[in-house]
Amino acid sequence: MSIKKLLVVMACIAALCGTAFGAEPPIRIGAMYALTGANAAIGTNIMRGVDFAVKMINEAGGVNGRMIEVVRGDTEGDAAKARSVAEKLVTQDHVDALLGCHQSTLTNIAAQVGEANEIPMITAISTVDNLSENGYEYFFRMCPMNSVYVRGMFDYLRDQARATGHEVKTIAIFADNSNIGQEIIRCAKIFAPDYGMEIVATVEYQGGQPDLSSEVLTLKKANADAVIAESYINDATLLMKTLQEQNYKPAILVAKANGYTDPTFLQNNQGISNGVASVVEWNPDLTKGQDINAAFKKEYGIDMNGHSAESFTATWILKTAFEAAGTTKGSAVKEALEKLDIQGKFPNGPEIILPYNRIKFEDHTFAGKQHYQNNVYASIAISQVQDGVYKTVWPLEYAGAKIQYPAQYK
Amino acid sequence: MDTFLQACLNGLMIGGFYSLMGMGQNIIFGVMKIINFCHGEMLMVGMYLTYVFHAWLGIDPYLAVPLVALTMFLFGALFQHTLITPSLGTHSFTNLLFLTVGMGVLLTNVAQVIFSSDYRTITTGYSSTILSFGPVTVALPKVVSFGVLIVISIALFFFLKYTPVGKKIRAVSQNPIGAQVVGIDSKKIYMITYGLGAALAGVSGALLTLFYVINPTAGSNFGFRALIVVVVGGLGSIPGAFFAGIFLGLLETLVSLFIGPSLRTLVVFATFIVILVIRQNILLRRA
Repeated sequence: MSIKKLLVVMACIAALCGTAFGAEPPIRIGAMYALTGANAAIGTNIMRGVDFAVKMINEAGGVNGRMIEVVRGDTEGDAAKARSVAEKLVTQDHVDALLGCHQSTLTNIAAQVGEANEIPMITAISTVDNLSENGYEYFFRMCPMNSVYVRGMFDYLRDQARATGHEVKTIAIFADNSNIGQEIIRCAKIFAPDYGMEIVATVEYQGGQPDLSSEVLTLKKANADAVIAESYINDATLLMKTLQEQNYKPAILVAKANGYTDPTFLQNNQGISNGVASVVEWNPDLTKGQDINAAFKKEYGIDMNGHSAESFTATWILKTAFEAAGTTKGSAVKEALEKLDIQGKFPNGPEIILPYNRIKFEDHTFAGKQHYQNNVYASIAISQVQDGVYKTVWPLEYAGAKIQYPAQYK
Repeated sequence: MDTFLQACLNGLMIGGFYSLMGMGQNIIFGVMKIINFCHGEMLMVGMYLTYVFHAWLGIDPYLAVPLVALTMFLFGALFQHTLITPSLGTHSFTNLLFLTVGMGVLLTNVAQVIFSSDYRTITTGYSSTILSFGPVTVALPKVVSFGVLIVISIALFFFLKYTPVGKKIRAVSQNPIGAQVVGIDSKKIYMITYGLGAALAGVSGALLTLFYVINPTAGSNFGFRALIVVVVGGLGSIPGAFFAGIFLGLLETLVSLFIGPSLRTLVVFATFIVILVIRQNILLRRA
């Protein structure tokens, strides 16, 4: 019997004895995601990452012998519900920590509830920059913020020259006029000079319009070396069709996930999307996390994606913090999270499967704004559609495939 | 210059759809003096019908057009007869307003329940065929769709002008009581008219599927533009709606190209208001 199996058996015996002799109750984590409504598919997928991590942790003996229990809070993706869901989790279900949410607006509300009740909260997925500007003591962000996504896209544009020999000097931005689109434009304007690139066109289009032909003509006229895109799924699909129609094939098109990584994007744009690159938080062909994904796929029948890989990792962070704190008292767990510094792999746990090697929450400044308790080591990967599927092409050291240049749109 | 020509062609293509939507809206308004607030949603239903015909029964989207038209005609006639006609008697504008708005919300939600909020597209062997005319390019489905809608516009014009049913529709629209006096069954005409309007919206949806994205809220943008087309083109005028639709399409693509995409809707609505004011002044002077 291997040591690992022995440990599991011992843990099970300990757990059984514990139950018999009135063991400590489980540690409860409140998970706030949309489980019904229009965003239900996204929320359900995120929950798989949480459940899978909890199963792994409990099977290995839990947190110092205490099991973890997940309490689901269905936000329905509705900002009006977020507060009551968070309050119910905290005051009635007495959760010891919060995980959530998917949409940044809801996360902000949940963070307020956590702060007021001294319940530590980690967001694994919300990226809007200003979430970490509030100075909350109990709120931590694991994922990169939007500006880090954009910086990653610029790093890619710079690094791809090493692989393809084509330097990017001019860029065009194609972003919708939503909050997130405008943030992309703002960040790109901040970063471009640092990377020696010039923004030659900014197409800030209106989302959900019947036609994008003139928007594409503007891009075509600008004829930039690379196009940076941010769209929701309907516009992303319409863009692909319109690029064909207007006979414009930008050599590099790199998108900030969103619509371009929606599960229906590849399916709806078969044969016209090869070469499109997009930010991903994780991808099945990333050289990290292969074993975990194999076990995950066995359990749920599908690959992990960026969201489930992130929620999986955030659950492990909570486990590590509970273990370090030795208690579930909010203030002690918060202190443990502040001190947490995970390098390479979790103690007695898996490697960090995301495309970075360190997790540590730190305060920092960006573009003159003070940010609090962000995982400053978080970064992203970039994948490119090749033969109809996304293949990781950057960071070059974790890449499973070579960058195809120029993009073919076939 | 090439870019300008390309933008004009693009405007013409999308404008055709605004025309078709506007004509459907216009014929309903002309006869019943009601604004059909679920016109955009009927376009969406047309898209999903085409999707169902194609994905489940393997029927080509263009061959599905007559089937969609027939289904939508029956749906429209039923909706008119069972819900709108009884409300017409109440002479309550709010009643009709809520009825058509409510139907729109209902259709969107039913589509969401049946098809989820996933975005869908239809791809066929020819859907990404691109035609080049000198410096300009256009997708084959757009050209075919444009051709179809020109044919429909002309047919509609002659139908209203020369056929017995068309004449009855015009009679009811000009004077409902007078028409009844001479023995026209106005309730039946209402059914035909609303069915026709619904069929036109459905056909627009069917023709759109090859180059647009199908989803439960896809209709709202087109529904709203249909209203603009009706007002700019003149209430009740089929040729007016046709040219107003084309004008709106051209205006959008040219504004987006030369003034800026973020100002697209703003300029369109500003123009719309200016046209309204000018027309009002002309009408007042005539009076």
